[in-house]
Amino acid sequence: MAFNILTSIALTLLLPFSLVGLERKFTFPGEKPVGLNLHALIGADVQVSPDSRIRGGVLLIRDGIIETVRKGGEIPAGYRKWDMTGKTIYAGFIDPYLLTGANAGKLLDLKHDHHVVATASLSFQGTPSTRPDPGEKGPGFEVSGVHPERKGSESFQPAEGSWKNLRQHGFTAVHLAPSEGIMRGTGPCVLLGEGNPNELILKEEVAQILAFDPVGKQQSPPVYPNSLMGALAVTRQAFLDAIHAREKSLYLLRKPSPLPDLPHPGIRRLQEVLDKKNPFPVWVEPGSCLMESRALSLGREFGFHPVIIATGDEWRRPDLALSKNHAYVSPLRFPALSKLPDEEDWEQISLDQLRAWDHAPGNPSLISSRTKSLSLTTTGLSLGEFRRNLLQAIGRGLPEKKALAALTTNPARICGIESFVGTLEKGKLANLVVVNGESYFAKDAMVSSTWIKGVPYRYPSENHEKAKADDNASAEKEPEKRTARFPHADRKPVESPSSALFTGFKLWTCSGKGILSGHDLLVKGGKIAAIGPNLRAKAPKDCKIIPGKGMHLTPGIIDCHSHSMILGRVNESTLPSTSMVRIADVVNSESINVERQLAGGVTACNLLHGSANPIGGQNAVIKLRLGSGPDGMLFEKAPSGIKFALGENVKQANWGDKYVTRFPQTRMGVKTFFTNRFTAARQYGLRLGQARQGEGPPVRKNLELEAILEIIRGERLIHCHSYRQDEILVFLRTMESFGVRVASLQHVLEGYKVADEIARHGAGASTFSDWWAYKFEVYDAIPYAGALMHERGCVVSFNSDSSDHARRMNMEAAKAVKYGGLSEVEALKFVTLNPAKQLGIDEWVGSLEPGKDADLALWSTNPLDYRTVCRQTWIDGVLYHEIKQTREREARRSAERTELITKAQKSLGDGKEDGAGEEARQRFFRYSLETACDLHPHSCRSHGCNSKGGHR
Amino acid sequence: MKKSFLCFLACLLIGPVLAGQTIYRAKKIQATPSLSFEPGELLVVAGKIKAIGKSVKAPKGCKVVDWKDLEIYPGLISPGSSLGLAEINALRPTRDESEVGTHTPDVEAWVAINPDSELIPVARANGVTHSLVAPMGGMVSGTSGLIVLDGWGVEEMTVRPKVALHLWWPGHSLGLPQPQAPGDAKPKSIQEQQRERRRVIRELDEFFDQAEAYARAKAANPGKFDAVPAWEAMLPALGGKMPVMIHADELRQIKAAVEWAGKRRYRVILSGGRDSWKLADTLAQKKIPVVYRHVFTAPRHRNSPHDQQFRAPGILAKAGVPLSIGLRLGGWSAANQRNLPYHASQAVAHGLTRSKALASITIEPARLCGVAKRLGTLEAGKDATFIATSGDLLDIRSSVRHMRIMGRATSLQSRHTRLYERYGDRPEPKPR
Repeated sequence: MAFNILTSIALTLLLPFSLVGLERKFTFPGEKPVGLNLHALIGADVQVSPDSRIRGGVLLIRDGIIETVRKGGEIPAGYRKWDMTGKTIYAGFIDPYLLTGANAGKLLDLKHDHHVVATASLSFQGTPSTRPDPGEKGPGFEVSGVHPERKGSESFQPAEGSWKNLRQHGFTAVHLAPSEGIMRGTGPCVLLGEGNPNELILKEEVAQILAFDPVGKQQSPPVYPNSLMGALAVTRQAFLDAIHAREKSLYLLRKPSPLPDLPHPGIRRLQEVLDKKNPFPVWVEPGSCLMESRALSLGREFGFHPVIIATGDEWRRPDLALSKNHAYVSPLRFPALSKLPDEEDWEQISLDQLRAWDHAPGNPSLISSRTKSLSLTTTGLSLGEFRRNLLQAIGRGLPEKKALAALTTNPARICGIESFVGTLEKGKLANLVVVNGESYFAKDAMVSSTWIKGVPYRYPSENHEKAKADDNASAEKEPEKRTARFPHADRKPVESPSSALFTGFKLWTCSGKGILSGHDLLVKGGKIAAIGPNLRAKAPKDCKIIPGKGMHLTPGIIDCHSHSMILGRVNESTLPSTSMVRIADVVNSESINVERQLAGGVTACNLLHGSANPIGGQNAVIKLRLGSGPDGMLFEKAPSGIKFALGENVKQANWGDKYVTRFPQTRMGVKTFFTNRFTAARQYGLRLGQARQGEGPPVRKNLELEAILEIIRGERLIHCHSYRQDEILVFLRTMESFGVRVASLQHVLEGYKVADEIARHGAGASTFSDWWAYKFEVYDAIPYAGALMHERGCVVSFNSDSSDHARRMNMEAAKAVKYGGLSEVEALKFVTLNPAKQLGIDEWVGSLEPGKDADLALWSTNPLDYRTVCRQTWIDGVLYHEIKQTREREARRSAERTELITKAQKSLGDGKEDGAGEEARQRFFRYSLETACDLHPHSCRSHGCNSKGGHR
Repeated sequence: MKKSFLCFLACLLIGPVLAGQTIYRAKKIQATPSLSFEPGELLVVAGKIKAIGKSVKAPKGCKVVDWKDLEIYPGLISPGSSLGLAEINALRPTRDESEVGTHTPDVEAWVAINPDSELIPVARANGVTHSLVAPMGGMVSGTSGLIVLDGWGVEEMTVRPKVALHLWWPGHSLGLPQPQAPGDAKPKSIQEQQRERRRVIRELDEFFDQAEAYARAKAANPGKFDAVPAWEAMLPALGGKMPVMIHADELRQIKAAVEWAGKRRYRVILSGGRDSWKLADTLAQKKIPVVYRHVFTAPRHRNSPHDQQFRAPGILAKAGVPLSIGLRLGGWSAANQRNLPYHASQAVAHGLTRSKALASITIEPARLCGVAKRLGTLEAGKDATFIATSGDLLDIRSSVRHMRIMGRATSLQSRHTRLYERYGDRPEPKPR
């Protein structure tokens, strides 16, 4: 743990409800007198810690504290004797993440949108920093969900009903973690005992809790942030505000001001987190497997070392989600099967669902083996399943010692209460679980009593018998072997030869050389090394030879407009300017679209924010490196960029009657808005400059204006969604007035009407081949637009904006031949070289030229012919798609699914799913964030562009 | 562009002269999906095909149109669209394709066709001469009609007002059992969902039972019978005179629908049919035609092969299923009907033969619509409705150069060609 234990003990000593030196209550006459608080537990096996056990031990308790633990020996007089022969005593269990508050018990679920609660009828959503969050009492932060100053201990109340249940399962202490917001504040560690609440608090504040929760989507209309990337931007800005507040106070020391310097209390709490000498701990609940790795990188970015709340989905990408240097808290919730009414209903069940079911019990073991420590929480599951699932986890390889540590020493350590609890050592609190028999982990073991601070809570044996019968039903199972494979196992390159020679192909160079026959192409070290006749002599000895036999080789296809691999909402649709959000934070490396698009010859794509606002989020250009993580897919050298948008979407024209108050609502306002934000950014730049030269106070780093300033400085490319000729022209002129060249106009369906102006400005035109009439502003879209703009000198590309079209961009390119009569060579450039130019990556990709990246697509025949099939796709000289191998992989998955269905049906038949609760059965039908995003494709063509994923 | 326009003008001018008898010569004539003539000749008399072959005997005074570089194909028939009903997807006032109500058999699609829809000439420009236009909304949504994509008014354009009764098969998916609204007390369990499924099918059965009872009552009391429009609209389907087009995508839906249709002895067409390839043999054996509308939708599961839906038409055709290929219905796809041939051609790269692909957008939909005697192939006695293309019809790079509908030269101009010409001629603006 990254904080100082001594300090926390010292703090505890100062508190009025200090545990050390418990005073015996001297009762008034008339009150029931309290007995001597001396207990001797005799004859049990005492599991002092996960590693040490005393057989036939004696455990003495004085005033709630463990006085002695030893093997046998005399019992001093005055002790109440408890014969515990045949039982085992463990340290009381600790739940390190019991969620309390409005969302008590609900772990962050990014998979499904919450129900919209209509709370506001009118909401002006101007720009960030326009008003404090209206939902807060006291000093509000400017966005909702940020309240790191909240202290759960101030509103702490024992929850007798649920505590009783927890005690019965052996729990003696919990960390009551706050459940609302993004920066949630802190919660206390408390004992699950009865009586004076003041005496139950073990630790007032455990950690600052962060959750990547797009809380704004719960309001109607939604407020910032309503997307996952928005939640990350909010987090980042809050930390930057904390850094700024510190700089400002240092500045004010030098240059005093008559105004008081009162940073927001939440900001002051975040400063404690960032304190390098004595950082306050941070726990992060990322809400999905991939976001766990984002939590780790955010920690590196700001210098904190988080405890991670796992989702149970770590098996999806253990290599990314888990870290040897970090402690993890995992729920024990496993999806469970339901009997399906018809045999055919199994058709509906996907491999992914079955894998999730089969992997779940093995997941705690996976976490335990790959991280610094595992702690278990009961949050998210019904307690009735706790022991069932725990035993399943053990059956799947979680060692009992580790399981015990996950319930005792590990949670004690991460909560910073290990000096009081977690083991049965002398001087610690007498928090115990007494179990009938040898082991808590035996099939029929039952808790016979739970002790909290020396107070026993006993569970009569008739209960045991009943419970025992229940337990037996589920406990009869033999340890199971996992059948499901790791998804990662076959999502990887086919081959990565050190060099490769493509010989006998028709080479579509997409350079000045046109289509070359009788030329070879040599790849070395991921780059195209040479193109020329007969390169065999130049090829290294172990060079892989790929014979073309008349097949066609083209540069890999580049899709200039894609939303196919994004986690969570594609739009931060709330504010009119969301330049602070980053697609790079939410790249979904696990999307099936990576594979499907590789099979269509795509090697790179431009992942764009949606078009819900004039200034959208920062885009991410990626290469489809199957098997890499989100960061590994990024096209490292690609210039930064940002999505802009004009027209109906940004003025919310098709969003419904509720959306009529956000500025802008007209095209007039759109122009006004850009001028405003660019002017603001320019002035922000001036102030930054002054501060740097010591001429002014430190400037708060504003992520929104920062991104716009980068545009003005030419460091960030604009990709602007646009339709009508007037808005296109006016936008170009507005940008010119700030000295900015627009990199690409996206869609630009009326661009053909102002093609000369676009060409003169130097903007690229990235359009659809032939979509039109889906809304009013595209009534004049024509399929000849691409050819027309090309003839007038624009750099034109065809993009997909669709996970379907992205699978067949070569066929889209053929439409440039059909409509407008372009040559085939020029047509193919629409999906290779031209998009590369628009994205500023043509130095490395887009054509077959020596020195460029070996990003290649290999076609069975002319890529513009409908009979063609993409046989191979190469990125950086690595083979990612080979049609036979791809088919074999698909066949393996199909076989695995069949195997898993057999196993699932057997498990149901054997009654192994009987012990699960309703929530677990529902869980089976849920999709992880990484897969749910594939089910709800997004397109900026959909008229609302704020709809949650679905479009037609 | 200009050339084609001039061509068109020329056709208009000399069209009337040729109205009697014309011979069309072409590099190739695809008479039926499996029969072509290279070169070929086609004799048209009074809007009908009189003769076809490598060469035909020319009657005296017959005009000759020589398309020596072009290929002739039958006009394409879309087996279902919202053409004429929907204009701009995002604008509600322009949409008429989906009515409210769960059982509205007496709704007819042809009555709401906007003959001046800008979408119609756009579809025509790529060779689509006919479309089945289907009503949507509810479980029994009404009857579809076949229209020809050219004409002055809706009556003139309607080839067959009543082609099929449309039944949207209820969903069988088991969902994530969760409350539908915040107020709902409990989520729906799998068992409850199963009961719900059964209830909906029962309701469907009852509806058709009642329709049949009505038919019997009417037959028993001819003459003095107070007709109910909704039940009247059901009668042709009950007697097998009109097919029921069942829209179903999932295997469970398809199985249930096939079983249901067999029990009731209705003539059915399966539409949508995403998973129909899994039942290809059954469908072939029962001679149930399929309109496959999922070539370009994503596979249902992540574990499905990436080219599953590209391959499905090939599997169906190979098994002997009468196969048509279409786009999904609705406002969104109305604007994209011109891409009909490319849905078929995508399947060719993945196992569908070229002739089956051609059949799936010509003669097969003609059969579904009951007009195979007039349309779908170029054979003596059929309508002289055909197109001339610059190359293989299925090849995206080819373009459609001429269209004849019942021998009449038909414009290939559209909003798109007009705008192309207008802005293609835009003078270069002066630099600012």
